[in-house]
Amino acid sequence: MDIHGSTVEFNGVTRKFGNVVALNDFSLKIKPGELVTLLGPSGCGKTTALRILAGIDKEHSGVVEIDGKDMSSIPANKRNIGMVFQAYSLFPNMTAQENVEYGLRVRGVDSVARSKRASELLELVGLASQSARRSTQLSGGQQQRVALARALAIEPSVLLLDEPLSALDAQVRSQLRDEIRRIQKTIGITTLFVTHDQEEAMAVSDRVGVMNKGNLDQIDSPSHLYNKPKTPFVAGFVGLTNVVPAVAQSKNEVLVLDQVLDISEHAPSLVKGEEVKALIRPEAISIEKAAKGAVVITKSFLGPMTRIGIDVGLHDLIYVELTSKEAKKIDTGDHVEVTISSDSVMVTHA
Amino acid sequence: MKRTLGWSDRTILIAAGFFFIAPFLAAGEYSLRGYGGKGHTFANYTWILHQLGFGPALLTSLRIAGVSVLLLLFLMIPTVVYVQLGGRRWARLIEILCLLPIVIPVVSLAIGAQVAMPKRLQSTSYELCFFYVIICMPYVYRTLNTGLQAIALPTLVEASSSLGATPVKTLVLVIIPAIRSATLGAAFITFAISMGEYALAVLLHFHTLPTWATNAAQENLYGSVAISIGSLFSVWFLLVLFSYLPAIKGALQNKKVKVT
Repeated sequence: MDIHGSTVEFNGVTRKFGNVVALNDFSLKIKPGELVTLLGPSGCGKTTALRILAGIDKEHSGVVEIDGKDMSSIPANKRNIGMVFQAYSLFPNMTAQENVEYGLRVRGVDSVARSKRASELLELVGLASQSARRSTQLSGGQQQRVALARALAIEPSVLLLDEPLSALDAQVRSQLRDEIRRIQKTIGITTLFVTHDQEEAMAVSDRVGVMNKGNLDQIDSPSHLYNKPKTPFVAGFVGLTNVVPAVAQSKNEVLVLDQVLDISEHAPSLVKGEEVKALIRPEAISIEKAAKGAVVITKSFLGPMTRIGIDVGLHDLIYVELTSKEAKKIDTGDHVEVTISSDSVMVTHA
Repeated sequence: MKRTLGWSDRTILIAAGFFFIAPFLAAGEYSLRGYGGKGHTFANYTWILHQLGFGPALLTSLRIAGVSVLLLLFLMIPTVVYVQLGGRRWARLIEILCLLPIVIPVVSLAIGAQVAMPKRLQSTSYELCFFYVIICMPYVYRTLNTGLQAIALPTLVEASSSLGATPVKTLVLVIIPAIRSATLGAAFITFAISMGEYALAVLLHFHTLPTWATNAAQENLYGSVAISIGSLFSVWFLLVLFSYLPAIKGALQNKKVKVT
């Protein structure tokens, strides 16, 4: 297959719907062969960015470039971009094979060549035996595989995935997610993936961009994003975070839940006495049974891990994650002593 | 879960079925009556074939109906697709325009539209096609609209476009086949109305199958009923044939694959 990764660049792209700014001065550069995910809640502008790149939507200002070429005047059907949609989008009047051949057919490729290419791609997505079936005879997961093969058949310069897994059940979603990553790496195609599922984003991406109200809050590798979130929104959206009031004790120290933590690595410049918020990951908190103190209120079994909700006298519970084996020792109603490790604590101004 | 029909459902179905079928059965029986109403025979059907003017009238009606179907689909499919895709603000206006023919009397339409028609067209029977397009609009609009609402139109259009198709290719290769049933339904409504329309044809002095049948009825009443029954079942036969055509084509292809 003759696909080369292209460079994609958004430069200061803005899109408004009436008075609502869907995308605000959005800039992003995707390297050839890279898989970048835009992650964020509904309405954050991630799909708008993808649709502008596809040429389905139009930016109000800014520039979108593929391999340095300005795309603004090029219509969607001339951009050579493969796209997989959230909704099942197979053409109902065609078989899986005909769907995959469609892009080549409209390009005037002869039937022998397009049949060969479609067969190769159906083989790649593991559906060679289903080539004669129509969309109504395929499961949701199979339909999205065919849609992926169809998008790749035209040898696109960029692959766009618009929440392609969101309509699938958990098991199929996880399988297809890994398969998308495998295929993307095999082919080396530049890919922009859009999802609101952080687990999905973390599992498949080279880099993840977290979007909030039309802005790209942070873009980083999945591990960096999790361990070094730059904003409270990113910390809250990527993984579970406890937001706890704290008071600065010095430039590098804060008082959180009666403990003084040295947070020199993650702190903004603090002023003594300043009220701040500490963002604490559940795994940064350890608990031990005690005669008095915080009280265990909830206990949720999550398989290998168990999440425990503790009342430490704040408005909200704080959450701790223990291995399910460790959690067996603790029951709801128990008193516990809470210890926070400063490694994964981030402080933000209140 | 499979729902069984209660006695009230069955009664309604039987009553509605009887209401629908009884006139056809009665007309069918009437068309088979022999001279003076005695005995039953196919003579009235063979009589039609030997009547002067039957062939030209049938051909004229078929030609007008065919052109009307093509004209209406050519006009309405892109319009309804446009309304569904991005022209929602025009939807109400287009819906009202498409419903107008129901409330405008045929006589007004004949006189008003006749005046507006280009002179060159006024002298040919193809003029009727334009009137039939107007008359059929309400039914065709609804049929196509329902068909398009049943598919994920925006996603299919975007998918087709991202794969490199122009809007025309998307329309021809994806949308029309995806709404095949609705398109066929619209085509047959138009065909049936065009084949059976009498008032406009007689007002504008064109010789179509219905106007010929009315004249023929003065000579042989049984024969005129036979004409109605014949044309009705011809349309039904075509409807069934076209509905099953893709299935027949698919079966033939499968057979070919097995043989090779």
